[in-house]
Amino acid sequence: MNYPFWNVPYIGGGWVIGLIAIFHVMIALFAVGGGSYLVLAEQKALREGRRDWLVVLRGHSKFFLILTGVFGTVSGVGIWFAIGLANPEATSTLIHNFVFGWAMEWVFFIVELTTAAVYYYTWGRVSDSLHVKVGWLYAVSSFFTLVIINGILAFMLTPGEAWLAVAGTGQEASRFWQAFFNPTYWPNLAIRSLICASLAGVWALVTCSRIDGAKEPALKTSLVRWSAKWLLPTFVLLPVALGWYLWTVPESQRALLRLGISTIGSGMFTQVTRVALIVVLASASIVAVTYFFAWRSPVEFNFSQAMSVVLLALIATASGEYARETLRKPYVIGRHMYSNGVRVTDVPKLNAEGYLTRSPWKVATHDTKLARGEAMFRGQCMACHTVDGYRSIKRLLGERNREAIGNLLTILHEHKPDSPYRAFMPPLVGTKDEIEALGDYLATLTAPEAAEAEKPEEKAAGMEKQTSAASPGRR
Amino acid sequence: MKALWSSIYAWADERLDLREWVEFAKKKTVPVHRHSAWYYWGGIAMFFFLVQGVTGVLLLLYYRPGPEAYDSVRQITYDISFGWLVRSVHSWAANLMVAAVFVHMFSVFFMKAYRKPREFGWWSGVLLLLLTMMFGFSGYLLPMDELAFFATKVGMEIAASLPWLGPKMADLVRGGPDVCEYTVHRFFALHVVVLPVAFTGLLAFHLWLVQKHGNASPPSEEAKPASERQTMPFFPNFLMRDFAMWLVAFNVLCVLAFLFPWDLGPQADALKPAPAGIHPEWYFMSSFQVLKVFGQWFPGALGEMLGMVVFTAGLVLWFLVPLYDGTSASGRRAIRATWFGLFALAVLVLTTIWGYLAL
Repeated sequence: MNYPFWNVPYIGGGWVIGLIAIFHVMIALFAVGGGSYLVLAEQKALREGRRDWLVVLRGHSKFFLILTGVFGTVSGVGIWFAIGLANPEATSTLIHNFVFGWAMEWVFFIVELTTAAVYYYTWGRVSDSLHVKVGWLYAVSSFFTLVIINGILAFMLTPGEAWLAVAGTGQEASRFWQAFFNPTYWPNLAIRSLICASLAGVWALVTCSRIDGAKEPALKTSLVRWSAKWLLPTFVLLPVALGWYLWTVPESQRALLRLGISTIGSGMFTQVTRVALIVVLASASIVAVTYFFAWRSPVEFNFSQAMSVVLLALIATASGEYARETLRKPYVIGRHMYSNGVRVTDVPKLNAEGYLTRSPWKVATHDTKLARGEAMFRGQCMACHTVDGYRSIKRLLGERNREAIGNLLTILHEHKPDSPYRAFMPPLVGTKDEIEALGDYLATLTAPEAAEAEKPEEKAAGMEKQTSAASPGRR
Repeated sequence: MKALWSSIYAWADERLDLREWVEFAKKKTVPVHRHSAWYYWGGIAMFFFLVQGVTGVLLLLYYRPGPEAYDSVRQITYDISFGWLVRSVHSWAANLMVAAVFVHMFSVFFMKAYRKPREFGWWSGVLLLLLTMMFGFSGYLLPMDELAFFATKVGMEIAASLPWLGPKMADLVRGGPDVCEYTVHRFFALHVVVLPVAFTGLLAFHLWLVQKHGNASPPSEEAKPASERQTMPFFPNFLMRDFAMWLVAFNVLCVLAFLFPWDLGPQADALKPAPAGIHPEWYFMSSFQVLKVFGQWFPGALGEMLGMVVFTAGLVLWFLVPLYDGTSASGRRAIRATWFGLFALAVLVLTTIWGYLAL
């Protein structure tokens, strides 16, 4: 608890990140794939003397510039704000380890944004060969932004033994490259590159769908079909890349996915498998719609059909990102930091000295037991749960009484190897008193009447303390 | 590859006259107007029926009617790989099918597609809806969890309230005076043999009629001169759109089944008191509420009986609409039947909402 807590009622901080990230990822991956699409399409048009393609590509590059340069960048900054607020401990760790990674990425960002603008504004103003060179500069620099961020994202699931060996010693940055090229780096890069290519095709189909097929059937046919081909590598290779990825993720994470195949039990935990199935469904539907409507009837291919492909791509991206995030449980940084920001190595110390005692954000209300319980809840549970919204703690506790809640907390605290929660939830840390306070607080959520009866006294006690604390000053 | 495909086609064509079918499908047209979107709903309902068939057969591999019913569904939901998925898809498709059939029926009603010569299409369609609801009722009991058990018990008691015939029918279906393992056996036979056979036969008749008479245009469209009316070929244009709708339906179905998998309640125990708020599935909620209200207005057996009479009378009127809604045949809109349709829709929706609020 080195940082103040950010309370987002009903949806939780995680979903604030999620809602921004889902759109950002889709636009950002388009920014990478779309760069190659534009320059390769331009080269093909010049080589084959298709000047009519260039008119369409120019329009597409304007759309591309606005979407990636405005929405993509703004949402990227939004993610920084959101992760800093929702998960400050993990964000701090990432910054400490990868500050030079991000410095490199920002260099590429600047080149990328500049060339995107130059590429659009120099259509017809510079020679064709120079324009193509600008296009290639964009394509390469945008691909390198992926090459870098991919290292950091993959690191969070599998930091690798070399980095874990020095984690917490202050020497972490010395293992920068090992952490960067971690065990899931390459399969992750393969998957993301394939998605970049298919998103380039998906968004290009939106532009192509607006060509008047009655007036320019040959142009529309050639461009729609060429754009649809961009989905082909993903269709063929994505299953292979996903298999490679699953082969490299830790066995415990694979077990999590397998569990969801055979059961819907174990609370929310089997949901990751079901969400992963949505990725498969949406991807297959994209292929079906693209083949039947774009490839087979390119002239009639219309805007609403193109937007349905975009919607499916959004569903696939959202589900894919959700599954990836959930697969990391119970960690936010694999085997180093739990999803609530508690470092694995700090657990014994926090159990002995207390979770709240080290917090610099202690306020007067922490003096009451219920308030301490609430602070425990905010610090350790609310990274994943909300009181009565997403993963509602009220709903999950059901009709448990104080004793049953106490038993559950004991299981979470002991974190034994055979605990059913161990695979998905961090251990509950803190002293006996703190855990008792958390239990008391949770009991007020499941039995509100009891809480009402208890609260006036607690409030009175709290006020008394505050008054007595304030009175010496008045004296 | 293309040459191989055409030689296979030619071989089959020689024996099956495939070209005749394709020619027929190409000649067939579908009217294009601002209400055309409603034409897809029959196809969507049929798609869900096909899904029911496939997933139903898969469930048959593990489901065991009788005393082990609950345990077998527990295994399907919590032990067997993708068992939960098959069961979820089956249950969700059932609900979506009922919804699609309702939408299809009301769209047919308001487009007045039941008029001459399509009366048999309407009658077979209403019977298909009733069979669909019987599918739902019989399938609901099969897991034998608490909610299914008590909801079926209440449902059967309502049926038994009919004078003279009611108790006899209820006993026959239940296999005794109360819902028990014999009931599961009987519902199972009904659900997997009797209803599918009846439904498939009636559906074939229904589809044959659709092919014979084609899609009906609404009166507003018929009023236009022939030169202003637009059509599209059934094959491949409309069929492709039909398949696109199936793809949408498939996606909706799968997302629901993935994100909201069908759970299983505690095992039914006849000795336990019924849990609070027992109610039937949503598509029976309207009739349930009507009967409840009549029961409150007229205490005793009279109330339930009156409720049944009103409900049956409404259904008969609904069924016979092609016979008394003749005025529109001359080109004028039959406003009385439209009002009746709106009234029926309002009663259905409002009593359903009322039913849920009154729980």
